[in-house]
Amino acid sequence: MNAVTQIAVPSPVRRETPAAVAISIRKLNKFYGGFQALRDIDLEVGQGEIVILCGPSGSGKSSLIRCINHLEQHNSGTIRVNGTELTHKASDVAQVRRQLGMVFQGFNLFPHMTVLANCTFALRLALRLPAAEANDIAREYLARVNVQDQAAKYPSELSGGQQQRVAIARALCLKPSIMLFDEPTSALDPESVGSVLRIMEDLAATGITMVCVTHEMGFARRVADRCVFMEKGEIVEEGTSDRFFSAPSTARLKAFLQQVL
Amino acid sequence: MHYDPVLAWESMPTLLAGTATTFAVLLPVLVLGLLLALPVALMRLERGGKAVFAASYIAFFRGVPSLVLLYLVYSGLPQLSVVRDTFLWTVFSNAYFCAWVGLTLTHSGYMAEIIRGGLAAVPPGVVEAATALGLSPRQALFRLRLPMAARYVLKAYQNELLIMVKSTSAVSAITLVDLTAAANTVFDYTYDPFTPLVTAAAIYWCIVNIMRIGFTMADRKLNRHLARG
Repeated sequence: MNAVTQIAVPSPVRRETPAAVAISIRKLNKFYGGFQALRDIDLEVGQGEIVILCGPSGSGKSSLIRCINHLEQHNSGTIRVNGTELTHKASDVAQVRRQLGMVFQGFNLFPHMTVLANCTFALRLALRLPAAEANDIAREYLARVNVQDQAAKYPSELSGGQQQRVAIARALCLKPSIMLFDEPTSALDPESVGSVLRIMEDLAATGITMVCVTHEMGFARRVADRCVFMEKGEIVEEGTSDRFFSAPSTARLKAFLQQVL
Repeated sequence: MHYDPVLAWESMPTLLAGTATTFAVLLPVLVLGLLLALPVALMRLERGGKAVFAASYIAFFRGVPSLVLLYLVYSGLPQLSVVRDTFLWTVFSNAYFCAWVGLTLTHSGYMAEIIRGGLAAVPPGVVEAATALGLSPRQALFRLRLPMAARYVLKAYQNELLIMVKSTSAVSAITLVDLTAAANTVFDYTYDPFTPLVTAAAIYWCIVNIMRIGFTMADRKLNRHLARG
């Protein structure tokens, strides 16, 4: 070993990030009291990229996705969404949330509002659109997720799959450039799972950026550009979905895939 | 002892005047109590000093008998020179004002606890969904959390309201002639306790049941999402 070669060897020229970055996360840490839920997370999601987060329960996937739209406050590290750094300032939080749509495991529809009102609620309040315009937008997206016939019903009158599709339409109404899905099919019966996954596949094809926590490995394989495996608050392995499933490099991912596939 | 319809008819103007006083006491108390209870309930849901203050407020005003509170406000406060010798005297010498203050404090203690329970029952995920959709905390409170809480607490509020209607009779202790006091006046003049008191009870019964019908209608409208499905 001599010092000269060490200095002389140039590092290969490699672009750090793709041209357009949607989400950039650096050294992210999140604690719940003394428990560390996320440990030095680095993750970059390009615009139009479909990224699947998977891993055993308690691995920090949901915490990570919830930190991105500030439903959980991170303790250190940086999150940038379409160039805006997510600080704990209300104005930054609001600007970041405008870029993001969120779909939850438990649908979280407003139970006392009709399907249509669920979709127009934020259009009227957050964007201050007139009712007629909000209704038009809502009907357009309800049609896109195939629940246009249910617009006048209440969430409790719908099946789980229909409710989750309404929740997707509700998020899409605000025209986010990035959609976050937190286990969108985990609370559904097997029949409904298919209807929701089909909508998500259609959505993926539109060029929207998606970050999705899911245990649906078949879906991940078909749709994902990249898969990320997390365990104990850390990213253990990530790669293109082909390599991720056919040639996992870490023993932990191998063990995980053996269990879920 | 028998019910005397003629006396009942003749004493009706007195009883209705008492009923008017009952409403004059009740309605401001319901409005003011609700307005006062809302910030207390919100403080109760926070942590630290505000929550301790709100908890103490609720514990105190639910604990103190409303009759004692009325006496304290009407007879006790004017003993303080700051009340007796200032402009406060003009308002605290008014029995209506004292009735409003005393009953509002009691009512707000109960209402704060009802509202707190309603807000606590709103599923956090639903509020998160609204937050993720870009609603401000203020919008989430006034346009989502409180409307949902109102639906949950309808039954509890109905109970509190009906009890309040009948609790207003305590104001006779501070010289106001409400429905109960009016019935008692008729008894004093006629030596017939049965007729005026049963008539007064019937009037209370009507008031309470009209309110009950109102609540049933409100419940049908606000909670129609529960009726279907």
